[in-house]
Amino acid sequence: MANTSGRAYALTTLCPIINGQVSRINSLSKPRSESHDKEIRRILQTLPLNENSIFANADNTYFARLFILNDVFFQQGNDYKRDQLKSKYLCFNSNFHGKLEPYLTTLWNNNEDQVREIWQHCVAFDQVRNDNDFITYIRSCQIDTTLFFDGSNDEPLAEQLKALYVKQMFSEFVLTQQGNSSADIKQAFKYFLQRVQLNNITSPSWKPGQTEVAI
Amino acid sequence: MTDQQTSKQLDLYDIQGNICKGYGRYGFPKARYCFLNFKHSYSAKDFLSKLIGKLTTAETWPESDQNGHHKIKPNSTLNLAFTYAGLVALNLPERSLKGFPVDFTMGMKARSELLGDTGVSAPDKWDPIWQDNKEGQEGGVHAWISINARDQDTIEYEYNALEDLITQYSDGVRLLPGIKGPSGTNLRYQDASAVFENGKPTAKEHFGFTDGIGNPYFDGCGNAISRLPGRGKLMRDGSWQPLATGEFILGHIDEAQEYPPAPEPKLLSRNGTFMVFRKLHENVDLFSNYIDNLAKDFAGSRDLLMAKMSGRWPDNGAPLTLAASDEEKACLDARMIDLEQRINKGDESALAERKAIRSKWSDFSYHDDKSGGKCPLGAHIRRTNTRGSLETEANAFDRPGALVDRRRLMRRGLPYGGINEATSDSGEQGIIFMSIGASIERQFEFVQQQWVNYSNDFKLGNDKDPLIGSHNGQLVDKHIIQTNAVANSETATPPFFCTQLPRFVETRGGDYFFIPSITALRMITEGNIDPS
Repeated sequence: MANTSGRAYALTTLCPIINGQVSRINSLSKPRSESHDKEIRRILQTLPLNENSIFANADNTYFARLFILNDVFFQQGNDYKRDQLKSKYLCFNSNFHGKLEPYLTTLWNNNEDQVREIWQHCVAFDQVRNDNDFITYIRSCQIDTTLFFDGSNDEPLAEQLKALYVKQMFSEFVLTQQGNSSADIKQAFKYFLQRVQLNNITSPSWKPGQTEVAI
Repeated sequence: MTDQQTSKQLDLYDIQGNICKGYGRYGFPKARYCFLNFKHSYSAKDFLSKLIGKLTTAETWPESDQNGHHKIKPNSTLNLAFTYAGLVALNLPERSLKGFPVDFTMGMKARSELLGDTGVSAPDKWDPIWQDNKEGQEGGVHAWISINARDQDTIEYEYNALEDLITQYSDGVRLLPGIKGPSGTNLRYQDASAVFENGKPTAKEHFGFTDGIGNPYFDGCGNAISRLPGRGKLMRDGSWQPLATGEFILGHIDEAQEYPPAPEPKLLSRNGTFMVFRKLHENVDLFSNYIDNLAKDFAGSRDLLMAKMSGRWPDNGAPLTLAASDEEKACLDARMIDLEQRINKGDESALAERKAIRSKWSDFSYHDDKSGGKCPLGAHIRRTNTRGSLETEANAFDRPGALVDRRRLMRRGLPYGGINEATSDSGEQGIIFMSIGASIERQFEFVQQQWVNYSNDFKLGNDKDPLIGSHNGQLVDKHIIQTNAVANSETATPPFFCTQLPRFVETRGGDYFFIPSITALRMITEGNIDPS
C-alpha cells in the first residue's frame, strides 16, 4: 500500500503504550499512581487546540489525529476466535504535504516538550534523544495504509489555505457587487486584488488551525 | 385501491383527531390552545376522565347527513396532549416513563441550541409560561388542550365549558397564565386563527404566503386516495404510495420496517404519537421592508422574489416547478380563469382539467430542476420536503425520496394574532407551528437542524432557510436564486443573491408533547398502567 499520493503523505503509526502504572511515590498532593494509558489520555484531552495545536505548529499538516486504541472489538457471536491486543496503542495519524523525515523533524523541533510529554508513556520512547531518534522511533511504529484525508489536495498547506481564503473573500466580493455597473465592478475588483494579494501566499490568509475570523 | 381508502385499517376511534386531520381544512379556522398544570394527580385524573368522552377522534366525517347518517361533523373539536413533566405528575410507572425517547423527556427548552433557538429566539426571550417550564418545576406545563371551531363564538362557548370543568377540580388542575396576547396582555390561552380576507378564511400566513400545502399522506389516515400524489412516498416509476403508518403513529410499522421506539406497555403508546408545539413570531415589517428593498434590484416581480424564497407563489401557493417566471405565472393564471369560466358554463372537461392542474400543487418533483433554475435549491419548501432531490446519483437509493420519507413533518398549525391589532414587528402575530410524528429527533429536529439551519445536504455551505433560518443580518446570511441560463450563452444571467438576511421568524416558546390514544388516556386516568 502506498503512503503517498502525489505530494501528500498519509502517516499511520501505532505506538505501544507501556503496560502498568507510572512509577511515582504516593503522597497527599499526588495520592494515586495512574496507569500509563490514563496519563496519556489526560494529556491528549487537554492538548491546546486550533492555532495553539502542536499540529498547527508543524508545517504542512492537513489533518492529524491522536487517539488511544484500547483493544479490538467484535460484534460476532460466541463461535469466533477473538484476538486481544497485548497492550494499548497510541495511534498517530497525520496527513501532510511533503516527505516524512522533514515533517517529523519540524514536529519535533517546534514542539519537543509536548511530543516528549505525550510519547513518554510509550514503550522504548525513553531511548529517543533527538529529532533523528524520533524519526527512527515513528518509522518503527509505522504501518502502511492509504488513509488519506478527503478534504485536501497535495499542495503545500499555505497554498491551500490561501486558496480557501481567496475563495471566501471572492464570495463576499460577489455578494457586495450585485447590481453594480461593469465599470464599478471592474474598479472594485482591482481593489479586491490589491487587498487579497494573490501572490503573497502567507498574508492575508488563514493561519494553520484557525477556525474563526478575528474581529 | 378504491378512491376512498388505503389498504390499512386503523382504529380511528382510538386515535386523536388532530393526528389524522388538519382541522383548518375541515372548516375549523379558529383555535384556542391552553396549558394545564397538575397539582394533585388524583384530582387531575378525575378531571381527565371527564374529558375523555369529549375528545375528538380521527373517525371520518361524512360530507352530510342526508342519508340519515348520525355521524356529522361537530361544531368544535377537542384534543389533549401531555409533556413529560405532565406524565410524571400523573404518576405513570417509572418503567413506562423511562421508555420515552430522550428528546421528549428533555423537552424543547433543553434542545434550544440544536434547534437554533438562540439570540432573540433563546428561551429567556420566550413568553413567561415557557420560561420557567421544566421538569420538576412546580408551575410547569403539564398538558396541552386545543379547541378548534368554525367561529369565535363557539371557541368562547367551549372554552367557558372547559373553564367550568377545571373549576370543579381547582385543587388539582389549573390553567396556566403567562401567554402573551395582543397589546401587552397576559393570557391563559393562545388564540389562533386563519387569516381572513373578505370575510372568508384563507390559507395565508402573515407574511402573505399560502401555507399548509403538501402535508404527508400515510397508510390508513382516512383521507381520500385522490390526495395521495405528491404527499406520499415517491416510487421509482414516478407513482406515489402512502407512507408507513409508523412514521406518524406509534405501535405501527414505520419506513424502516420497524416499530418506532415507544414506552411500555404497548397499550400506552400504540395509536399515540408525539407533537412539537412552537409559537413562532413573524416580524412582518422587517420581512415586508426587506422584500421591498430587494425587489428594486431583482429582475422580476415582488411576488416572484417571494416565491423564489419559499418555492411557492404567495397568492395561490402554486409551486415554482409549475410556473417559474412572471410570464409562466401569468399563463397559469389566465388558464385557471378560463377554466373557471368554462366550469361555470357547465363544461365538465374543464372541471377535470382544473383538477388535474390543481393536483400539481402537490404532485411534483425536482427531477427536471436539478440546477434550481425553477425552484432555488435553498428555497423553503425544497429544504423542508426535499422530495427526490437528494438522490443526486441515478438510482442511488431504493426510492428517489428514501432520505426524506423518514423526515416528513405532519404540520398542524394556524396563524395567530393580527386580528385585534395591526401587524407590526412588535405586535403579537405569527404561526402556531405544530408538527406530529413518531420521532421528534429523527423528523422535526433533524429537519430543523440539518435542512433549515444548515445546507451541507444541498451543497450550499452554511446557508439557511431564507424564511425561517436563524439568520443574523450578516453579509453571508444569504439565499441564492439560481437561474436556468446556460453559462456563456447569450441569454446567460447571473444568479441573484439575497444577502444580509435578518431573522424574520423568532421562537417565542413551546414544548414537546405526547398525544395519547383514547385507550392510553383511559388507562392513565384509571391508574392501571402495568409495564411489567
